[in-house]
Parts: sequence; C-alpha cells; structure tokens
Amino acid sequence: MKKVIVHPERCVGCMQCMLACAAAHSRSGTLLGALGEAPLPRSRIHVGVGAFDEGFPNRCRHCDPAPCMLACLPGAIYRDASSGTVLVDADRCINCASCAMACPYGVIRYHAVWDGPPEKIVAVKCDNCLARQAQGLVPACVEICKSGALTFEAPDRAARRRTDEVARSVSSGAICPPPAPGFALLAAHKRARAEVPAG
Amino acid sequence: MQYVIIGNGIAGVSAAEAIRRIDPDGPITMIGDETGPPYCRPMISMVLEGRIGPERLPVRGRDFYDRLGIMPVLGRRATAIDVDRRQVCIGERRCAYDRLLIAAGADPRPIRAEASNLGNIFFMRRREDVHGIHHALDAGVRRALVLGGGLVGFKAAYGLIQQGIPTTMLIGSAYPLSMQVDARAGAMIREALVARGLDVRVNLEVRAFDGNGAVRQAHLSDGSHLDCDLVVVGKGVLPARSFIPAERIAVDLGVVVDDHMQTCVPGVFAAGDVAQFVDIARQTPWVNAIWPEAVNTGRIAGFNMAGRPVACPGTLSRNVIRIFDLDVMTAGLVNPPEDGTCQILQAEDHRRRTYRKLVLRGGRLVGMAMVGRIEQGGVLTALIGSRTAVRGNPERLLDAHFNAGRLVS
Amino acid sequence: MTHHHKGKTITQDGQLLLRKAETDQIETVWDRHQAQLPQCGYCELGVSCRVCNMGPCRVDPFGEGPQKGVCGADADIIVARNLGRMIAAGAAAHSDHGRDLVEVLAAVAEGRAPGYAIADPAKLDRVAAEYGIALEGKTAVQVAGELAHAMQEDYGTRKKELTLAGRAPAKRRELWRRLGIMPRGIDRETSEMMHRTHMGVDNGWQSVLLHGLRNALSDGWGGSMIATEVSDILFGTPRPCPTQANVGVLKKDQVNIIVHGHNPVVSETILQACQDPELLALARERGAAGINLAGLCCTGNELLMRHGVPMAGNHLMTELVIATGAVEMMIVDYQCIMPSLGTVAACYHTRMISTSDKARFPGMEHHEFHPPNALEKARQIVRLAVENFASRGESYIPVEPVPAVGGFSVEAVVGALGGSPGPLIEAIKAGRIRGAAGVVGCNNPKIQHDQGHVALVRELIANDVLVVDTGCAAVATAKAGLKTIEALALAGPGLQEVCGALGIPPVLHFGSCVDNVRILVLAAALADALGVDISDLPIAGAAPEWYSEKAVSIGAYFVASGVYTVLGPMPPIAGSANVVKLLTEGLTGAVGAAFAVEPDPNQAAVLMRRHIEAKRRALGLEAIRV
Repeated sequence: MKKVIVHPERCVGCMQCMLACAAAHSRSGTLLGALGEAPLPRSRIHVGVGAFDEGFPNRCRHCDPAPCMLACLPGAIYRDASSGTVLVDADRCINCASCAMACPYGVIRYHAVWDGPPEKIVAVKCDNCLARQAQGLVPACVEICKSGALTFEAPDRAARRRTDEVARSVSSGAICPPPAPGFALLAAHKRARAEVPAG
Repeated sequence: MQYVIIGNGIAGVSAAEAIRRIDPDGPITMIGDETGPPYCRPMISMVLEGRIGPERLPVRGRDFYDRLGIMPVLGRRATAIDVDRRQVCIGERRCAYDRLLIAAGADPRPIRAEASNLGNIFFMRRREDVHGIHHALDAGVRRALVLGGGLVGFKAAYGLIQQGIPTTMLIGSAYPLSMQVDARAGAMIREALVARGLDVRVNLEVRAFDGNGAVRQAHLSDGSHLDCDLVVVGKGVLPARSFIPAERIAVDLGVVVDDHMQTCVPGVFAAGDVAQFVDIARQTPWVNAIWPEAVNTGRIAGFNMAGRPVACPGTLSRNVIRIFDLDVMTAGLVNPPEDGTCQILQAEDHRRRTYRKLVLRGGRLVGMAMVGRIEQGGVLTALIGSRTAVRGNPERLLDAHFNAGRLVS
Repeated sequence: MTHHHKGKTITQDGQLLLRKAETDQIETVWDRHQAQLPQCGYCELGVSCRVCNMGPCRVDPFGEGPQKGVCGADADIIVARNLGRMIAAGAAAHSDHGRDLVEVLAAVAEGRAPGYAIADPAKLDRVAAEYGIALEGKTAVQVAGELAHAMQEDYGTRKKELTLAGRAPAKRRELWRRLGIMPRGIDRETSEMMHRTHMGVDNGWQSVLLHGLRNALSDGWGGSMIATEVSDILFGTPRPCPTQANVGVLKKDQVNIIVHGHNPVVSETILQACQDPELLALARERGAAGINLAGLCCTGNELLMRHGVPMAGNHLMTELVIATGAVEMMIVDYQCIMPSLGTVAACYHTRMISTSDKARFPGMEHHEFHPPNALEKARQIVRLAVENFASRGESYIPVEPVPAVGGFSVEAVVGALGGSPGPLIEAIKAGRIRGAAGVVGCNNPKIQHDQGHVALVRELIANDVLVVDTGCAAVATAKAGLKTIEALALAGPGLQEVCGALGIPPVLHFGSCVDNVRILVLAAALADALGVDISDLPIAGAAPEWYSEKAVSIGAYFVASGVYTVLGPMPPIAGSANVVKLLTEGLTGAVGAAFAVEPDPNQAAVLMRRHIEAKRRALGLEAIRV
C-alpha cells in the first residue's frame, strides 16, 4: 500500500504543500475558492525550521500504536482499518488538547473545519487525503511538491531507494556529486551563518 | 490462564484489551464498584461545566464486557487479597486468579471539618458526584465553596463559574495548581479565573460546616465565616489500598511495581492511580495518578499478564488545561528543587501572551511548562519521556517557532 | 522573547530597546523574520520566476522535478534574469535619488528653490569642467544650470559613454569598452535590463550578467556619483567633524526630531528649520531646552558628514528608536523605510511624516516637499514636532552616546594627506598600511545586528588595513567606537603610526550609500598615481550584512570596477552553479575581480587580507602569507 514518505533533506521550505493541503481540505477544493471561505481552511502539514533555519516538512506519521489515539479522552481518534490512517471524529472531539500533549511530532492543530460541527473547535490532523485517494488522486501535498521532499509510494520501495542512495554515496571509487550542488551550497552557507560566533 | 482485574477504570479496561490481543480465551473477571460501562473520569468536570452531556462519558460501548468476554462483578469492592491461595475476596465471595491486576484507582482525600457530612457537600471523583452537584444547582445555589486548588478543585471552580455560580476557592498555596504548574503560569491561571469572578482566598481552611440538613455556612480557620450552599471538596486523592495485604504486597504511597508493572508477588500486577513506579523526570518512586499513565500502565500490565514481556521506562506527570482563552501544558519537573542541579530557561512573550519554561538536568529536558501556543507541546513531553539528550543550544526549544525539525537536524 | 535579544544584536542600546519593545508589545523586524522561517528555498536559490504569466515557475534543485520554466528558461537563465532585475532596481533607486538632486540644482539655477543654494562653488566649477562646461564670465547659478542640464543628459541615451566614467583609469575604461559594458545612459541601462529580462529577449545567462555589470556601472559612475557630487555642490563637501552615535543622541529635555531615508534634499531643510530662532523660542516656550535633530540611515549620514548631526542608529534600529518614546517626530524621504514604522509609532506620541511624492507609508502624515516649498514645509512640520513635545509620555534613553569623527570626503582625505594621495601610497608601499578596505552595506536580521560590520572591521584594522566605510556599516562602526582617535589602540602598529601622524581614526566615515562612489574616486586616484588599474590595487570591499537591491548594484559596480568584494549573506544565485562560478571565479578573468560569499566576518577578513597581500605581491611589494 502506498504511503506519503517525507524526505526532509529535499525540502526547500517553499511551503507550497501547506497551500495545497489547505486548499484540498476546503469546501471548494481550490486555492482561490478557499481564500473566501469561512472557516478558512488550514494546512495539516506544517513546514517548520530545523537547526539552521532550513525547511522541515512536519506531517502526521499515523503511528501504530498512535499516542494521540491512546491519549484521547472521548475516544474521538480512531484508525481507519483499510488505510491505517489515524483520523479524528470531529463530533466526538472535545478540544481538550490531550492529543497535543501526546503527539511527539506536534502535528495536531485546533480549529473549526467546514465539514465538522459548525463553529466548533476540534482537533485537526492529516487524513492522508483519503477523499482525494478515493478519486484516484495522490495526496495534495505530494502532488504539489516539485523537489521530491514528499513522495507517495510503497514504503519498502522508498526504503530500497534510500538504501541504494546510501550505498552509492559510500562505495569507494564511485564519485557521485551531491544531487543538488546549488542546494548543498545554500545549506552549507546557512549552516555557516548559524555557526558564526556571536559578538 | 485465569485473570482477575480489580477496577473498571481506564487502567483495568486498557489491561483487559491488551490481554485480549494476546489471549483471546482466558477468562477475565473484572471487579468494579462503579456500575455501567467504563467512562472517562477526566471528562466529568466538562459535564459539570455543561460543555458535554453525561451520555458522552462512556469510553467503551455498553457491549464492552460481552465483546471482550469479561465477567463483570459490578457495584462491589474487593475487600481482601489472599496471596497464598491466589484469590480475591469480595465480601464472602472469592474469586480465583492466575494473574491479578490491582487497578483499584484512588479515592478522594477526606477533610477534617466538623459536620462535613451535611448535604450539598460533594467530592468530584465520580459521575454520581457531578450528578449530585447538578441536582443541587437545579435546586438553586447562591454561593459555592471549593476546597483545594489542585486539579479537581480547579476544575470544579472553573465548571461552577462557567455555570454562573458565584464561587469562592480556598487554597493552601499562593496560586491554583501549584503541584502542576509553576508560579508564573499559576499566576496567569489565577488572573484568568479571578477576572471571570472567582473569589480566591489563600492560606485558609474550613474548621466546621453549619446547616440544617444541607450546608449553609463554613467556619474558616481565621475565625471568619462564609455563607455557602454548595461545597466541592478537592483536596487530592489517595490510592485505594485498604484491602491490600501490606505484609505480603509491598505498598508505599501506592502499590510498588517493577518495570513490568508486577508487584513483589509474582503474578500480581498493579496499574493506574493505585500503582507506584519510577517517575521519569524525577527518577524517584512516584504515583502519577493521571489518565494517560493509567492507559499506558494498564496496557503494559495487560501484555505482561498475558505473557508478552513489555517494559515501561517510567511514568511522567503531565497535564494540559484549557480555560477561557488560556492554554496551559506542563510535563515532568516543573518546579525543580533549588539545589543547583537543574538549569531553568524561561521566555515570556507579552505580545503573543505566551510563556515557556524548560527545566534541564544533565543535558536532558526533565520538565516544561507552557502557556499559549501549546500545539507542539507533545514534542517537548516526548523529549522528556524519552530522556533524549538535547543537542545544540536548548534555548532554541523556547522559540515560538519551535518545531520538531529543531531536534533532528 | 527575552532569552535571545543578545543573539539579535551586539549593540547595548539595541538589546535594551528590544526588551522595551517586548514589554510594549511592539512587533519588530526580528519577529517578522522569525515568522517567515523557513524562507522559500526556490526563491533563496533564485530559481523561481515570476517574470511572465505563463508562470509562475520554479526549477527543482534536485533534478527530478521541472528543470525549465514554461518558456523553456533553465536555472541559469532564471537566476541570471532575477539577479539582473535586482541590479536594475538597485541602480534605479540610486539614480533616481541622483535625479532628484539634479532637479534641485536646476531649480536653484532657475531661482525656484528658495531653501537651497550653491554651498561649494569650487566643487561646482570642478565638476562642471569635467562636463566640458566653459566657466569664464558665468555666475555660479549659470554654471549650475548648465551642469544640471548636462547631467540630465547623462540620464538619457544621447551619448556613448557617461561623463563621469571618465574618472575611471584609462585601462579600466578600455576594458569596459572591450567587454561592451561601458555605461551609456543611466536610465538606458536600467531600461535595457528590464527589456532583456522580459520573456523571450536575452536568454544568454552570461550576456544578461554582463549587462548587469553595465547597469551597475551606470549607477556607480553615473546616478550615484551624480547624487554625491550634486549633494556636495548644494550642501557642501564634507570635512572631518566630530559627531556622536547610538540612541543616546536623543535628548530627554529637548524636542527630538529624526530624519530617516536617503536624500539630503529634505533633511537639509529640516536642519535649517531646526536652527530657526523663532522655532527654538517656541520650543523653549513649550518647556523644551532646544530642538535636537538626529539621523537614521543614510539621510542621517548625509547630515552627519556635512554638519556633524548625530546618528541615532542604522537600519535595524529604526523601529527601536521610536520605542524610546522620546521621538517627537520622524521625517522620512525614501528607501529602506520599513512600512512597519507607522504601526510602531502609533504606540507612542511620535508623529510620522512622509515627504516624497514617490514614497508613501501606512500610518504616516504626508507633507510633500518640492524645491519651491521645501523650507516653508520644513518650518511647518518642525513646528508640529515642537508642539508635540507636550504629548511625550515616559521615555527611555538607555545609553550614553558614543563619540565619532565623520566627514571624510575624498577631498578631505587628500587634504589630510597634504594635497595628494602620495603619502598614503608611500605608507602602502612601505607596508605600514597593507592596503585599504571598503566596508559597506546594510543590516539584515539574518546576521547578528552590527556583528558582521564590527567584527570584520576590527579584524582588518588590527592587521593594518585602512578601512573606509559607508551607509549602515559606517553607523555600526561609529556606535562601536571605531571612529575615534582612541580606536587607534585597536589598530596594528603600522596603521596606528600612519593615522596617528595624520590625526585620523583607523576607520574613515565616507558617507551614505550613494557615497560609495567616493571609494571609487579614491581608488581611481590611487590607481592613476601608481599608473595601474583599480584591479591591481591592494584593496578589497565587503558588504557583511547587506539586504537591499541597492547593495547588489553596489557590489556589482565594485566588482566591475575591479574591486574584489566579499558578501555576508548569500545572494539568490545558488540555484545555478554556472552563475555562481562566473560571479565567484569567472569574472576575475573578465574584469580582474570577483565576488566571494562568507557569513563569518572573521573568515571574511582572512579572504580580504589574502587578496590584499596577493595584490601587493603582484605589484612587487613585500607581502605576507595570510
């Protein structure tokens, strides 16, 4: 089964996945339409910053066991058996933030959603774009990502690809340039900037 | 394998579910003095507030006992444990076990005040307590008195002022939730409550109550008295351990367990509010009587009882509170001893109305408190729970823009 | 947040006022920078393109996603076009500033500018002679009219070469002609850059970049140079004078007026109005001991250079200065004025005044200045400022000002040397001074405020490199106390000896950011005296905290003029390895100088000293290994 795989080393921090996610979870389903909606849709993927201000795409891992699910007081968080997706039942949710305290990745937010109880603040998180997947589409964040930081593939295939990449980079004699010299240069510059001793 | 679980709170329920994932057939007997399907204890204060109806309390369906093949013994308390014969006594009745889980929970700490048996004086531990308080409110309450500024007292006071009841809170410390939060966060909570009309009085106790059937007045330790027609007592809880043979099963404040949730008697386990294990942040024996640890320790006990060894690294005190527009989350050692072993980092942002405090010991995060923007507090809680060494400058973790990415790169 | 104010700025006034701003719930540039993180990597790499409406487009730096925009432009073309447009914007800003000065000069000639006069007729004559204007029998006003006209022609396209480019050494001019980058018209090069970078025009990334150099030269040897020269003619050529810097220049018992922006056209009239006896009397009537004018950024530098007007701070201090609560009025013209200032001022009694027809800001009152009405307008708004003194609430001026010396025009430096650059050349030849460095540019919240400037300059002077600085860099070193004779204690023995004998500090304030051309003029004079090109000189440039498009233009004209230039923050070019290689290596073959990028000021100092010593070696002078 295909899953969204995050490759943080490829995130350029453009935040386009956030726009696409918010738009995909709006009533209209489009960016321009979403801007006029109430409640405004919000992204469920969160691009934050790493140690030297580089981008870091932070997204629900749909853990198993899921700490949020175990911590949920009213039992509103459940797992969709067929896809393994951890979902929130907006009607049962009591906005107690117990899941915020449990989530080790900090990817749950609290706000009203257009397809939930009107004006009720509820826990909101990644739903793997199950509605889009039902239409044969890939999750919105993957579709918009042009740098390969988010892919939709079978986990074993992704793992194999990663193993191959590591093997290539450490094999002796094989001179392989970094996949993106410009991006590596920018990252090195940011790292150097972060490490300049303070005056 | 024959299982007996004393307690039908969330620890017992989680244990039964864990047992069933491994052992589908072994008979399970569950003894609980509260009847009905298991419900969510932390949510009873939301029923008091009126935020949810009592029908929302159950965390499992009415078919819970049937579905899991559990024989329930409800409305009764275990009275003794016969360790030699491997039996639990429920009055005259005896129940044999191969594996026993003590998940009897805790009972409210009683108060020593004259006439504390008058009507309209309540604890707030059980569903029935809130039912009773609602009943009293329906009959008309002019002023309520809440004893204690701990979690229960705080939640009761919050619920009562949300219901529009003029309420006075008597607390022993300078601010509410002194066991959960630090002075700064406590002051913010107090300000929020006082701004909504709560009357907070510190360093005062009730000596006696007065009334004709129902409470009418409280006499305070400073000689003054206070008219009140509803009292909620929230002076903390004590592990329910009266039926446990202390000469056989090691009991300290709670029932002492090892990292497999087993007591010193093989085959006898304990979990939830009654169990005493190691606190991860404090690295000392501790009773963390909170819902998420009841789920966690119950689950681990269940796996071990059914024969799958699972170790628990320890328990962690933590709380999250949302009142009015104030969000507060705390975990671990929030008020560390002033012995110089801990580094404290604090940041307050008036513009965003946020406050953060981190407590570090030996390069590890051991405690945190945050007010406002708590969405990512779980990252810090997990950092405490996993005892991961903090790499780089820990001040980065204070940033409003803090993100899990700060930890991995 | 209290915990990291120290990480934001090295300045004490900055740290204390950040705490005040936090208490007062003022959002600052640092907060907004934090909120922007992470910044878009496509844009940081320069590989996003918004030039046309088939787009917007971006190129995947990892090679798997799109590699070309809709039009077919690859990363090289997109990066080059974006950089070209940055240069065009920077050159346009400086040059339009120059144009405004020329218009004042023309208005003076026509008698339509009562608040202005020819302050330096000797310089007027010198510059007019360069423009081939006959001086005999003409009044200064007549000469001014002809010069204004000739300069306005430089903005157009009627000539093949800009007049003031003639100041560059002959070798350099020949090189520009050979490369086809000799600047022709000031507006023409900017206009042509916008044309070339339109979709479907110049898609040779090298040719776009070469035109970028030409566009930048039209600024350095054109628009900016005109701005500086006309400012000297109208307001006086700077000579060394004492001044003070940091927030401590505000006075508790006086009406504090701040001028912020770049063009002295407005701030000079404000200075006149602040000295008006009638307004001073009004100030005393309102309980103030006087009217205290102080500067921010480059319009402040203009007044500092010519009149010793004290300097309250540089770019990143502009919000914090208002947070003192001690500013009755801030008067702005244009460039580098954060649109947030009006919001900050709304929390205090400070009145915010915008003055330029081309620069408006939220939360500011607009009082438009034109040459005919400028002095009268200045008196009106200074009166408003004086009347606002009574509304001042609690104020917080947490530091004492630091003394500094400003006012080093080329004329002043040559004067200090006894009339010719000879003594300086002798000191360099003897190795007592290893060489000279121009440290210029802005502040940028990506770099700890002032640390880039101050750490670099300390390192340079300690190693006997004479430093000239401008703009926000100059304010940074003034606040750090490096512009005093006492700072010679921090200089190496050779620099200490030479500057000590001349009675000048080791770090010379060369003026505002358009005044970077003073560095070009001095470099050209040194090169001519030695009979070499600028690229042969033991000199280097740096922009350790640059942020603006103007800085990109400055960097490009420095390099195109033969000055090796080290940038602190990375420009948005890393998405094209070809462009990076050309700008950091390839340009050396073409113009004898290139860029380097180094965020660590101590490392940047090493790069600059290494370059200086290599140039010394090439000139046959004694050199050391760095």
